[in-house]
Amino acid sequence: MTTACAAISLAGWAAQAASGAPASVLGPEPGAAIGAVVEPGLGPIGLYHYLFLAASLFVIGVIGFISRRNMIIMFLCTEIMFQAAAIALIAFSRFHLNHDGEVFVIFVLTIAAAEAALALALVVLLFRRKESLDSAEWAQLKG
Amino acid sequence: MNAIIDPIVLYVGLAVGALGVLIALPRRGVNPQLIGIVLAAAGFGAVIGVLAYLGAQAGESLSVFFYVFAAIALLSALRVVTHQRPVYSALYFILTILASSALYLLVGSEFMAFALIIIYAGAILITYLFVIMLATQAPTEQDVGIMSPYDAYAREPVAATATGFVLLAVLTGMFATGVPRVAATGDAGAGLREDPALLVHLPGRVIRGLEGRDVFSVFEKPERGELVDGEGPVELDLERGVVGLMLREGGDELLARRLAEETRDVRFAELFIGVGGEGGPGLPPAGVVAAGGPVLVGLPEDVAPTNLDGVGWTLVAGHPVTLEVAGVILLMALLGAVVLARKQIELGEDEKEAAARLASHGGTFGGPSSGPDAFAASVGPNTAPPGEPARSTPAEGTPSSSLEDRRE
Repeated sequence: MTTACAAISLAGWAAQAASGAPASVLGPEPGAAIGAVVEPGLGPIGLYHYLFLAASLFVIGVIGFISRRNMIIMFLCTEIMFQAAAIALIAFSRFHLNHDGEVFVIFVLTIAAAEAALALALVVLLFRRKESLDSAEWAQLKG
Repeated sequence: MNAIIDPIVLYVGLAVGALGVLIALPRRGVNPQLIGIVLAAAGFGAVIGVLAYLGAQAGESLSVFFYVFAAIALLSALRVVTHQRPVYSALYFILTILASSALYLLVGSEFMAFALIIIYAGAILITYLFVIMLATQAPTEQDVGIMSPYDAYAREPVAATATGFVLLAVLTGMFATGVPRVAATGDAGAGLREDPALLVHLPGRVIRGLEGRDVFSVFEKPERGELVDGEGPVELDLERGVVGLMLREGGDELLARRLAEETRDVRFAELFIGVGGEGGPGLPPAGVVAAGGPVLVGLPEDVAPTNLDGVGWTLVAGHPVTLEVAGVILLMALLGAVVLARKQIELGEDEKEAAARLASHGGTFGGPSSGPDAFAASVGPNTAPPGEPARSTPAEGTPSSSLEDRRE
Protein backbone atom coordinates (compact mmCIF):
# COMPACT_ATOMS: atom_id res chain seq x y z
CA MET A 1 0.00 0.00 0.00
CA THR A 2 2.61 2.50 1.06
CA THR A 3 4.96 1.55 -1.73
CA ALA A 4 2.17 1.78 -4.24
CA CYS A 5 1.31 5.27 -2.97
CA ALA A 6 4.91 6.27 -3.33
CA ALA A 7 4.98 4.76 -6.80
CA ILE A 8 2.09 6.87 -8.09
CA SER A 9 3.40 10.07 -6.59
CA LEU A 10 6.89 9.39 -7.88
CA ALA A 11 5.45 8.75 -11.32
CA GLY A 12 3.91 12.20 -11.29
CA TRP A 13 7.02 13.91 -10.10
CA ALA A 14 9.36 12.00 -12.37
CA ALA A 15 7.23 12.87 -15.37
CA GLN A 16 7.43 16.53 -14.43
CA ALA A 17 11.17 16.33 -14.06
CA ALA A 18 11.56 14.41 -17.33
CA SER A 19 9.78 17.11 -19.27
CA GLY A 20 12.58 19.54 -18.50
CA ALA A 21 10.36 22.03 -16.76
CA PRO A 22 11.48 23.09 -13.30
CA ALA A 23 9.68 20.76 -10.96
CA SER A 24 7.88 22.88 -8.48
CA VAL A 25 7.37 21.57 -5.01
CA LEU A 26 4.79 24.02 -3.80
CA GLY A 27 2.80 24.54 -6.93
CA PRO A 28 2.85 27.64 -9.12
CA GLU A 29 5.08 30.51 -8.16
CA PRO A 30 3.27 33.02 -6.01
CA GLY A 31 2.38 36.34 -7.46
CA ALA A 32 4.93 39.06 -7.90
CA ALA A 33 3.53 41.32 -5.25
CA ILE A 34 5.45 41.23 -2.01
CA GLY A 35 3.48 39.74 0.78
CA ALA A 36 0.73 38.64 -1.52
CA VAL A 37 -0.46 35.14 -0.88
CA VAL A 38 -1.87 33.88 -4.11
CA GLU A 39 -3.97 30.80 -4.02
CA PRO A 40 -2.84 28.06 -6.32
CA GLY A 41 -5.33 27.78 -9.07
CA LEU A 42 -6.31 25.22 -11.62
CA GLY A 43 -5.44 25.39 -15.26
CA PRO A 44 -6.82 23.05 -17.90
CA ILE A 45 -4.26 20.32 -17.32
CA GLY A 46 -4.74 20.57 -13.59
CA LEU A 47 -8.45 20.22 -14.14
CA TYR A 48 -7.82 17.03 -16.11
CA HIS A 49 -5.79 15.67 -13.21
CA TYR A 50 -8.71 16.20 -10.88
CA LEU A 51 -11.24 14.86 -13.35
CA PHE A 52 -9.25 11.70 -13.91
CA LEU A 53 -8.94 11.22 -10.18
CA ALA A 54 -12.67 11.77 -9.73
CA ALA A 55 -13.56 9.35 -12.51
CA SER A 56 -11.23 6.70 -11.10
CA LEU A 57 -12.65 7.06 -7.60
CA PHE A 58 -16.18 6.86 -8.96
CA VAL A 59 -15.40 3.71 -10.87
CA ILE A 60 -13.75 2.10 -7.87
CA GLY A 61 -16.96 2.85 -5.99
CA VAL A 62 -19.04 1.30 -8.76
CA ILE A 63 -16.90 -1.82 -8.79
CA GLY A 64 -17.20 -2.14 -5.05
CA PHE A 65 -20.95 -1.61 -5.10
CA ILE A 66 -21.39 -4.35 -7.68
CA SER A 67 -18.96 -6.86 -6.32
CA ARG A 68 -19.15 -6.66 -2.54
CA ARG A 69 -21.85 -8.59 -0.76
CA ASN A 70 -21.78 -6.91 2.62
CA MET A 71 -24.56 -4.32 2.66
CA ILE A 72 -22.57 -1.88 4.79
CA ILE A 73 -19.64 -2.00 2.38
CA MET A 74 -22.05 -1.45 -0.48
CA PHE A 75 -23.25 1.75 1.10
CA LEU A 76 -19.67 2.73 1.85
CA CYS A 77 -19.01 2.40 -1.87
CA THR A 78 -21.84 4.82 -2.62
CA GLU A 79 -20.07 7.23 -0.30
CA ILE A 80 -16.94 6.82 -2.42
CA MET A 81 -19.00 7.72 -5.46
CA PHE A 82 -20.38 10.82 -3.70
CA GLN A 83 -16.83 11.75 -2.84
CA ALA A 84 -15.72 11.41 -6.45
CA ALA A 85 -18.54 13.66 -7.60
CA ALA A 86 -17.61 16.19 -4.94
CA ILE A 87 -13.98 16.26 -6.11
CA ALA A 88 -15.10 16.91 -9.68
CA LEU A 89 -17.44 19.67 -8.51
CA ILE A 90 -14.72 21.34 -6.48
CA ALA A 91 -12.28 21.13 -9.38
CA PHE A 92 -14.76 22.70 -11.80
CA SER A 93 -15.68 25.32 -9.26
CA ARG A 94 -12.06 26.35 -8.82
CA PHE A 95 -11.39 26.17 -12.54
CA HIS A 96 -14.16 28.61 -13.31
CA LEU A 97 -13.63 30.62 -10.13
CA ASN A 98 -17.25 30.25 -9.30
CA HIS A 99 -18.50 29.17 -5.93
CA ASP A 100 -21.62 27.44 -7.10
CA GLY A 101 -19.78 24.15 -7.41
CA GLU A 102 -18.56 24.33 -3.86
CA VAL A 103 -22.01 25.18 -2.62
CA PHE A 104 -23.29 22.17 -4.48
CA VAL A 105 -20.79 20.04 -2.59
CA ILE A 106 -22.49 21.19 0.61
CA PHE A 107 -25.73 19.77 -0.73
CA VAL A 108 -23.95 16.59 -1.75
CA LEU A 109 -22.74 16.26 1.83
CA THR A 110 -26.29 16.82 3.03
CA ILE A 111 -27.62 14.09 0.82
CA ALA A 112 -24.79 11.81 1.87
CA ALA A 113 -25.60 12.36 5.52
CA ALA A 114 -29.30 11.73 4.96
CA GLU A 115 -28.51 8.65 2.93
CA ALA A 116 -26.18 7.33 5.59
CA ALA A 117 -28.77 7.82 8.32
CA LEU A 118 -31.57 6.10 6.40
CA ALA A 119 -29.48 3.39 4.80
CA LEU A 120 -27.83 2.42 8.04
CA ALA A 121 -31.16 2.31 9.84
CA LEU A 122 -32.37 -0.01 7.07
CA VAL A 123 -29.26 -2.15 7.35
CA VAL A 124 -29.76 -2.54 11.09
CA LEU A 125 -33.37 -3.48 10.47
CA LEU A 126 -32.46 -6.04 7.82
CA PHE A 127 -29.70 -7.44 9.99
CA ARG A 128 -32.17 -8.03 12.81
CA ARG A 129 -34.39 -10.02 10.48
CA LYS A 130 -31.80 -12.40 9.05
CA GLU A 131 -28.81 -12.06 11.35
CA SER A 132 -26.68 -11.54 8.28
CA LEU A 133 -25.45 -8.63 6.22
CA ASP A 134 -25.31 -10.58 2.99
CA SER A 135 -27.30 -8.79 0.32
CA ALA A 136 -27.88 -12.14 -1.38
CA GLU A 137 -30.05 -13.13 1.57
CA TRP A 138 -32.68 -10.80 0.24
CA ALA A 139 -32.64 -12.25 -3.24
CA GLN A 140 -36.21 -13.46 -2.87
CA LEU A 141 -37.38 -9.86 -3.00
CA LYS A 142 -38.54 -9.81 -6.58
CA GLY A 143 -40.36 -6.67 -7.55
CA MET B 1 -9.63 20.53 -25.44
CA ASN B 2 -7.58 18.69 -27.96
CA ALA B 3 -6.66 15.07 -27.68
CA ILE B 4 -3.89 15.20 -25.15
CA ILE B 5 -3.16 11.57 -24.43
CA ASP B 6 -2.25 8.88 -26.86
CA PRO B 7 -5.25 6.53 -26.74
CA ILE B 8 -2.97 3.50 -26.61
CA VAL B 9 -1.29 4.78 -23.44
CA LEU B 10 -4.62 5.63 -21.86
CA TYR B 11 -6.32 2.35 -22.62
CA VAL B 12 -3.30 0.23 -21.78
CA GLY B 13 -3.01 2.06 -18.46
CA LEU B 14 -6.67 1.47 -17.75
CA ALA B 15 -6.40 -2.19 -18.72
CA VAL B 16 -3.50 -2.68 -16.33
CA GLY B 17 -5.51 -0.92 -13.66
CA ALA B 18 -8.49 -3.15 -14.35
CA LEU B 19 -6.34 -6.25 -14.08
CA GLY B 20 -4.95 -5.00 -10.80
CA VAL B 21 -8.38 -4.26 -9.33
CA LEU B 22 -9.60 -7.66 -10.48
CA ILE B 23 -6.71 -9.39 -8.76
CA ALA B 24 -7.12 -7.29 -5.64
CA LEU B 25 -10.80 -8.10 -5.15
CA PRO B 26 -11.27 -10.64 -2.37
CA ARG B 27 -11.74 -14.20 -3.55
CA ARG B 28 -11.65 -17.75 -2.33
CA GLY B 29 -8.35 -19.56 -2.07
CA VAL B 30 -5.24 -17.72 -3.16
CA ASN B 31 -5.63 -14.03 -2.56
CA PRO B 32 -2.74 -12.04 -4.03
CA GLN B 33 -4.12 -8.67 -3.04
CA LEU B 34 -0.77 -6.95 -2.80
CA ILE B 35 0.11 -7.79 -6.40
CA GLY B 36 -3.27 -6.53 -7.52
CA ILE B 37 -2.89 -3.26 -5.68
CA VAL B 38 0.57 -2.68 -7.11
CA LEU B 39 -0.76 -3.40 -10.60
CA ALA B 40 -3.70 -1.07 -10.13
CA ALA B 41 -1.37 1.61 -8.84
CA ALA B 42 0.81 1.14 -11.90
CA GLY B 43 -2.18 1.47 -14.20
CA PHE B 44 -3.57 4.62 -12.59
CA GLY B 45 -0.08 5.97 -12.07
CA ALA B 46 0.73 5.64 -15.77
CA VAL B 47 -2.22 7.80 -16.77
CA ILE B 48 -1.60 10.36 -14.04
CA GLY B 49 2.08 10.39 -14.94
CA VAL B 50 1.29 11.18 -18.56
CA LEU B 51 -1.01 13.97 -17.38
CA ALA B 52 1.77 15.30 -15.16
CA TYR B 53 4.20 15.23 -18.06
CA LEU B 54 1.76 17.18 -20.22
CA GLY B 55 1.12 19.67 -17.47
CA ALA B 56 4.81 20.27 -16.96
CA GLN B 57 5.29 20.76 -20.68
CA ALA B 58 2.49 23.29 -20.75
CA GLY B 59 4.20 25.14 -17.93
CA GLU B 60 1.41 24.26 -15.58
CA SER B 61 2.89 21.83 -13.14
CA LEU B 62 0.73 20.87 -10.22
CA SER B 63 2.05 20.65 -6.73
CA VAL B 64 3.76 17.40 -5.89
CA PHE B 65 1.33 17.07 -3.02
CA PHE B 66 -1.40 16.53 -5.56
CA TYR B 67 0.24 13.31 -6.65
CA VAL B 68 0.85 12.20 -3.09
CA PHE B 69 -2.72 12.76 -1.99
CA ALA B 70 -4.22 11.48 -5.23
CA ALA B 71 -2.28 8.26 -4.72
CA ILE B 72 -3.45 7.98 -1.13
CA ALA B 73 -7.05 8.67 -2.12
CA LEU B 74 -7.09 6.16 -4.95
CA LEU B 75 -5.35 3.36 -3.14
CA SER B 76 -7.25 3.72 0.08
CA ALA B 77 -10.49 3.74 -1.92
CA LEU B 78 -9.24 0.54 -3.49
CA ARG B 79 -8.64 -0.88 -0.04
CA VAL B 80 -12.17 0.08 0.99
CA VAL B 81 -13.44 -2.01 -1.87
CA THR B 82 -11.05 -4.91 -1.46
CA HIS B 83 -10.54 -5.26 2.26
CA GLN B 84 -12.22 -8.25 3.76
CA ARG B 85 -12.92 -6.73 7.14
CA PRO B 86 -15.63 -4.04 7.18
CA VAL B 87 -14.06 -2.05 10.01
CA TYR B 88 -10.85 -1.69 8.06
CA SER B 89 -12.86 -0.68 5.01
CA ALA B 90 -14.44 2.13 6.99
CA LEU B 91 -11.08 3.23 8.35
CA TYR B 92 -9.59 3.26 4.87
CA PHE B 93 -12.53 5.35 3.75
CA ILE B 94 -11.60 7.90 6.40
CA LEU B 95 -8.16 7.95 4.79
CA THR B 96 -9.79 8.62 1.43
CA ILE B 97 -11.71 11.49 2.97
CA LEU B 98 -8.60 13.01 4.53
CA ALA B 99 -6.69 12.74 1.26
CA SER B 100 -9.47 14.34 -0.75
CA SER B 101 -9.83 17.15 1.73
CA ALA B 102 -6.11 17.75 1.25
CA LEU B 103 -6.81 17.89 -2.47
CA TYR B 104 -9.49 20.51 -1.80
CA LEU B 105 -6.94 22.51 0.15
CA LEU B 106 -4.50 22.32 -2.72
CA VAL B 107 -6.93 24.22 -4.95
CA GLY B 108 -7.65 26.69 -2.20
CA SER B 109 -11.09 25.50 -1.24
CA GLU B 110 -10.43 25.46 2.45
CA PHE B 111 -13.97 25.80 3.71
CA MET B 112 -15.13 22.64 1.99
CA ALA B 113 -11.97 20.83 3.04
CA PHE B 114 -12.66 21.29 6.71
CA ALA B 115 -16.39 20.83 6.32
CA LEU B 116 -15.63 17.53 4.63
CA ILE B 117 -13.48 16.31 7.49
CA ILE B 118 -16.01 17.38 10.09
CA ILE B 119 -19.06 15.99 8.35
CA TYR B 120 -17.65 12.87 6.74
CA ALA B 121 -14.86 11.69 8.97
CA GLY B 122 -16.49 13.08 12.08
CA ALA B 123 -20.14 12.23 11.65
CA ILE B 124 -20.97 9.91 8.80
CA LEU B 125 -18.09 7.51 9.17
CA ILE B 126 -18.59 7.24 12.91
CA THR B 127 -22.16 6.20 12.20
CA TYR B 128 -20.86 3.59 9.80
CA LEU B 129 -18.43 2.28 12.38
CA PHE B 130 -21.20 2.06 14.96
CA VAL B 131 -23.41 0.11 12.61
CA ILE B 132 -20.59 -2.18 11.53
CA MET B 133 -19.89 -3.05 15.13
CA LEU B 134 -23.59 -3.30 15.95
CA ALA B 135 -24.44 -5.57 13.04
CA THR B 136 -21.66 -8.09 13.29
CA GLN B 137 -21.94 -11.34 15.10
CA ALA B 138 -19.44 -11.74 17.87
CA PRO B 139 -17.02 -14.51 16.94
CA THR B 140 -17.37 -17.65 18.98
CA GLU B 141 -14.48 -19.51 20.52
CA GLN B 142 -13.66 -21.76 17.59
CA ASP B 143 -13.99 -19.35 14.70
CA VAL B 144 -11.97 -16.39 15.86
CA GLY B 145 -10.31 -14.98 12.77
CA ILE B 146 -12.75 -16.56 10.37
CA MET B 147 -14.57 -14.00 8.28
CA SER B 148 -18.20 -14.14 7.34
CA PRO B 149 -18.53 -15.66 3.90
CA TYR B 150 -20.12 -12.52 2.53
CA ASP B 151 -16.98 -10.57 3.40
CA ALA B 152 -14.51 -13.21 2.38
CA TYR B 153 -15.05 -13.18 -1.34
CA ALA B 154 -16.52 -10.88 -3.93
CA ARG B 155 -19.56 -11.51 -6.04
CA GLU B 156 -18.93 -11.47 -9.79
CA PRO B 157 -15.52 -9.76 -9.66
CA VAL B 158 -14.88 -10.09 -13.38
CA ALA B 159 -18.18 -8.59 -14.44
CA ALA B 160 -17.91 -5.80 -11.89
CA THR B 161 -14.38 -4.86 -12.92
CA ALA B 162 -15.23 -5.00 -16.59
CA THR B 163 -18.28 -2.77 -16.07
CA GLY B 164 -16.34 -0.32 -14.02
CA PHE B 165 -13.39 0.03 -16.28
CA VAL B 166 -15.40 0.25 -19.47
CA LEU B 167 -17.23 3.09 -17.76
CA LEU B 168 -13.90 4.66 -16.84
CA ALA B 169 -12.62 4.27 -20.38
CA VAL B 170 -15.69 6.04 -21.71
CA LEU B 171 -15.40 8.76 -19.10
CA THR B 172 -11.72 9.41 -19.72
CA GLY B 173 -11.97 8.84 -23.43
CA MET B 174 -12.05 12.59 -23.92
CA PHE B 175 -8.39 12.69 -23.00
CA ALA B 176 -7.72 10.70 -26.13
CA THR B 177 -10.42 12.00 -28.43
CA GLY B 178 -10.71 15.61 -27.39
CA VAL B 179 -13.67 17.86 -26.67
CA PRO B 180 -14.18 21.54 -27.42
CA ARG B 181 -11.71 23.63 -25.53
CA VAL B 182 -12.71 25.56 -22.46
CA ALA B 183 -10.69 28.65 -21.74
CA ALA B 184 -9.54 29.18 -18.20
CA THR B 185 -10.51 32.40 -16.56
CA GLY B 186 -7.65 34.33 -15.11
CA ASP B 187 -4.07 33.71 -16.05
CA ALA B 188 -3.07 30.16 -15.32
CA GLY B 189 0.33 29.79 -13.77
CA ALA B 190 0.20 33.06 -11.94
CA GLY B 191 -2.34 31.53 -9.65
CA LEU B 192 -6.02 32.23 -9.65
CA ARG B 193 -7.86 34.30 -7.15
CA GLU B 194 -11.33 34.58 -5.84
CA ASP B 195 -13.60 36.57 -8.05
CA PRO B 196 -12.87 40.18 -7.10
CA ALA B 197 -16.24 41.33 -8.31
CA LEU B 198 -17.61 39.70 -5.19
CA LEU B 199 -16.21 42.67 -3.26
CA VAL B 200 -19.03 44.75 -4.66
CA HIS B 201 -21.31 42.74 -2.39
CA LEU B 202 -19.00 42.95 0.58
CA PRO B 203 -18.40 46.64 1.26
CA GLY B 204 -17.81 45.94 4.92
CA ARG B 205 -14.79 43.91 4.00
CA VAL B 206 -13.33 46.74 1.94
CA ILE B 207 -13.93 49.24 4.67
CA ARG B 208 -12.37 47.02 7.33
CA GLY B 209 -9.36 46.34 5.15
CA LEU B 210 -8.79 50.00 4.46
CA GLU B 211 -9.30 50.94 8.06
CA GLY B 212 -6.46 48.69 9.08
CA ARG B 213 -4.16 50.62 6.79
CA ASP B 214 -4.87 53.94 8.38
CA VAL B 215 -6.14 55.44 5.17
CA PHE B 216 -9.78 55.11 5.83
CA SER B 217 -9.79 58.57 7.28
CA VAL B 218 -9.75 59.70 3.67
CA PHE B 219 -13.35 58.78 3.52
CA GLU B 220 -14.26 60.00 6.91
CA LYS B 221 -12.44 63.26 7.36
CA PRO B 222 -12.36 65.02 4.01
CA GLU B 223 -10.60 68.32 4.03
CA ARG B 224 -10.06 69.43 0.45
CA GLY B 225 -11.84 68.53 -2.70
CA GLU B 226 -9.12 68.34 -5.29
CA LEU B 227 -7.92 64.92 -6.29
CA VAL B 228 -5.33 64.20 -8.94
CA ASP B 229 -4.39 61.09 -10.71
CA GLY B 230 -1.12 59.72 -9.43
CA GLU B 231 0.41 58.30 -12.57
CA GLY B 232 -1.39 59.64 -15.55
CA PRO B 233 -4.40 58.07 -17.20
CA VAL B 234 -4.99 54.52 -16.06
CA GLU B 235 -7.43 52.29 -17.76
CA LEU B 236 -10.24 50.94 -15.74
CA ASP B 237 -10.32 47.19 -15.98
CA LEU B 238 -13.94 46.44 -15.40
CA GLU B 239 -13.53 42.71 -15.83
CA ARG B 240 -11.29 42.41 -12.81
CA GLY B 241 -13.90 43.95 -10.63
CA VAL B 242 -14.35 47.53 -9.65
CA VAL B 243 -15.18 48.77 -6.25
CA GLY B 244 -16.29 52.32 -6.14
CA LEU B 245 -15.77 54.31 -3.02
CA MET B 246 -16.68 57.95 -3.03
CA LEU B 247 -14.48 60.50 -1.43
CA ARG B 248 -16.72 63.13 0.02
CA GLU B 249 -16.62 66.64 -1.19
CA GLY B 250 -13.31 68.03 -0.08
CA GLY B 251 -11.21 64.89 0.33
CA ASP B 252 -7.59 64.78 1.43
CA GLU B 253 -5.36 64.64 -1.61
CA LEU B 254 -2.29 63.67 0.37
CA LEU B 255 -3.92 60.69 2.00
CA ALA B 256 -5.42 59.61 -1.27
CA ARG B 257 -2.01 59.71 -2.91
CA ARG B 258 -0.59 57.65 -0.11
CA LEU B 259 -3.31 55.10 -0.57
CA ALA B 260 -2.62 55.01 -4.27
CA GLU B 261 1.11 54.54 -3.81
CA GLU B 262 0.89 52.03 -1.01
CA THR B 263 -1.21 49.73 -3.03
CA ARG B 264 -0.13 50.46 -6.56
CA ASP B 265 1.65 47.17 -7.06
CA VAL B 266 -1.18 45.12 -5.79
CA ARG B 267 -3.50 45.42 -8.68
CA PHE B 268 -6.02 43.15 -7.19
CA ALA B 269 -9.02 45.22 -8.02
CA GLU B 270 -9.41 48.75 -9.04
CA LEU B 271 -10.61 51.01 -6.37
CA PHE B 272 -11.21 54.49 -7.50
CA ILE B 273 -11.77 57.44 -5.37
CA GLY B 274 -13.68 60.12 -7.05
CA VAL B 275 -15.29 63.36 -6.23
CA GLY B 276 -18.79 63.59 -7.52
CA GLY B 277 -18.49 60.69 -9.93
CA GLU B 278 -21.16 60.21 -12.55
CA GLY B 279 -23.48 57.31 -12.93
CA GLY B 280 -24.10 55.65 -9.63
CA PRO B 281 -22.07 55.64 -6.47
CA GLY B 282 -18.75 56.91 -7.70
CA LEU B 283 -18.70 55.02 -10.95
CA PRO B 284 -17.25 57.18 -13.69
CA PRO B 285 -17.46 56.14 -17.32
CA ALA B 286 -14.82 53.54 -18.06
CA GLY B 287 -11.54 54.92 -19.28
CA VAL B 288 -12.19 58.48 -18.21
CA VAL B 289 -9.43 59.14 -15.77
CA ALA B 290 -8.01 62.59 -15.80
CA ALA B 291 -6.38 65.02 -13.45
CA GLY B 292 -8.90 66.04 -10.92
CA GLY B 293 -10.84 62.89 -11.61
CA PRO B 294 -10.84 59.61 -9.79
CA VAL B 295 -7.61 58.03 -8.69
CA LEU B 296 -7.06 54.40 -9.44
CA VAL B 297 -5.56 52.41 -6.69
CA GLY B 298 -5.31 48.73 -6.05
CA LEU B 299 -6.98 47.24 -3.07
CA PRO B 300 -4.68 45.83 -0.43
CA GLU B 301 -4.18 42.13 -0.76
CA ASP B 302 -5.80 41.30 2.53
CA VAL B 303 -9.03 42.78 1.33
CA ALA B 304 -9.34 40.11 -1.34
CA PRO B 305 -12.33 37.91 -0.68
CA THR B 306 -11.39 34.51 0.63
CA ASN B 307 -12.88 31.20 -0.22
CA LEU B 308 -15.03 31.41 2.88
CA ASP B 309 -16.48 34.71 1.74
CA GLY B 310 -17.24 33.26 -1.65
CA VAL B 311 -18.88 30.09 -0.41
CA GLY B 312 -20.85 31.93 2.22
CA TRP B 313 -22.08 34.57 -0.15
CA THR B 314 -23.02 32.12 -2.87
CA LEU B 315 -24.69 29.76 -0.45
CA VAL B 316 -26.86 32.33 1.26
CA ALA B 317 -27.41 34.79 -1.56
CA GLY B 318 -27.51 32.41 -4.47
CA HIS B 319 -29.18 29.30 -3.15
CA PRO B 320 -31.31 30.17 -0.12
CA VAL B 321 -34.21 27.92 -1.07
CA THR B 322 -31.93 24.99 -1.76
CA LEU B 323 -30.39 25.48 1.64
CA GLU B 324 -33.81 25.31 3.26
CA VAL B 325 -34.68 22.21 1.25
CA ALA B 326 -31.44 20.58 2.35
CA GLY B 327 -32.40 21.25 5.96
CA VAL B 328 -35.82 19.70 5.40
CA ILE B 329 -34.21 16.66 3.77
CA LEU B 330 -31.97 16.18 6.78
CA LEU B 331 -34.93 16.50 9.10
CA MET B 332 -36.90 13.92 7.14
CA ALA B 333 -33.92 11.59 7.20
CA LEU B 334 -33.66 12.02 10.94
CA LEU B 335 -37.33 11.20 11.43
CA GLY B 336 -37.12 8.32 8.98
CA ALA B 337 -34.13 6.82 10.73
CA VAL B 338 -35.89 7.09 14.09
CA VAL B 339 -39.02 5.44 12.75
CA LEU B 340 -37.06 2.67 11.06
CA ALA B 341 -34.73 1.89 13.92
CA ARG B 342 -37.46 2.08 16.57
CA LYS B 343 -39.07 -1.12 15.35
CA GLN B 344 -39.02 -3.68 18.12
CA ILE B 345 -37.47 -7.07 17.69
CA GLU B 346 -39.21 -10.04 19.18
CA LEU B 347 -37.67 -10.89 22.50
CA GLY B 348 -36.93 -14.48 23.27
CA GLU B 349 -38.33 -16.02 26.47
CA ASP B 350 -35.03 -15.66 28.32
CA GLU B 351 -34.66 -12.00 27.50
CA LYS B 352 -38.27 -11.35 28.51
CA GLU B 353 -37.63 -12.95 31.85
CA ALA B 354 -34.47 -10.99 32.34
CA ALA B 355 -36.26 -7.79 31.42
CA ALA B 356 -39.08 -8.53 33.82
CA ARG B 357 -36.61 -9.28 36.60
CA LEU B 358 -34.84 -6.01 35.98
CA ALA B 359 -38.14 -4.16 35.82
CA SER B 360 -39.23 -5.50 39.17
CA HIS B 361 -35.88 -4.43 40.53
CA GLY B 362 -36.56 -0.97 39.21
CA GLY B 363 -33.25 -0.77 37.40
CA THR B 364 -32.98 1.59 34.50
CA PHE B 365 -31.00 -0.85 32.39
CA GLY B 366 -34.02 -2.97 31.63
CA GLY B 367 -32.81 -5.10 28.77
CA PRO B 368 -32.37 -4.12 25.18
CA SER B 369 -35.85 -2.66 24.81
CA SER B 370 -35.82 0.02 27.47
CA GLY B 371 -33.76 2.51 25.48
CA PRO B 372 -36.01 2.81 22.44
CA ASP B 373 -39.10 2.77 24.61
CA ALA B 374 -37.85 5.58 26.74
CA PHE B 375 -37.25 7.49 23.57
CA ALA B 376 -40.70 6.69 22.27
CA ALA B 377 -42.22 7.94 25.49
CA SER B 378 -40.48 11.22 25.07
CA VAL B 379 -41.44 11.49 21.40
CA GLY B 380 -45.12 11.35 22.14
CA PRO B 381 -47.98 9.09 23.10
CA ASN B 382 -49.06 8.40 19.53
CA THR B 383 -45.85 6.64 18.59
CA ALA B 384 -45.98 4.18 21.46
CA PRO B 385 -47.26 0.82 20.27
CA PRO B 386 -50.58 0.02 21.90
CA GLY B 387 -49.84 -3.61 22.67
CA GLU B 388 -47.02 -2.99 25.09
CA PRO B 389 -48.42 -1.44 28.21
CA ALA B 390 -45.88 -1.42 30.99
CA ARG B 391 -42.48 -1.66 29.40
CA SER B 392 -41.61 1.99 29.62
CA THR B 393 -42.26 2.22 33.33
CA PRO B 394 -38.79 1.22 34.46
CA ALA B 395 -37.31 4.07 32.53
CA GLU B 396 -39.12 6.64 34.60
CA GLY B 397 -36.84 7.31 37.50
CA THR B 398 -38.37 5.61 40.50
CA PRO B 399 -36.97 5.97 43.99
CA SER B 400 -35.57 2.47 43.88
CA SER B 401 -33.54 3.29 40.78
CA SER B 402 -31.92 6.20 42.49
CA LEU B 403 -31.26 3.86 45.40
CA GLU B 404 -29.44 1.54 43.03
CA ASP B 405 -27.44 4.40 41.64
CA ARG B 406 -26.27 5.24 45.11
CA ARG B 407 -25.35 1.65 45.75
CA GLU B 408 -23.11 1.70 42.70
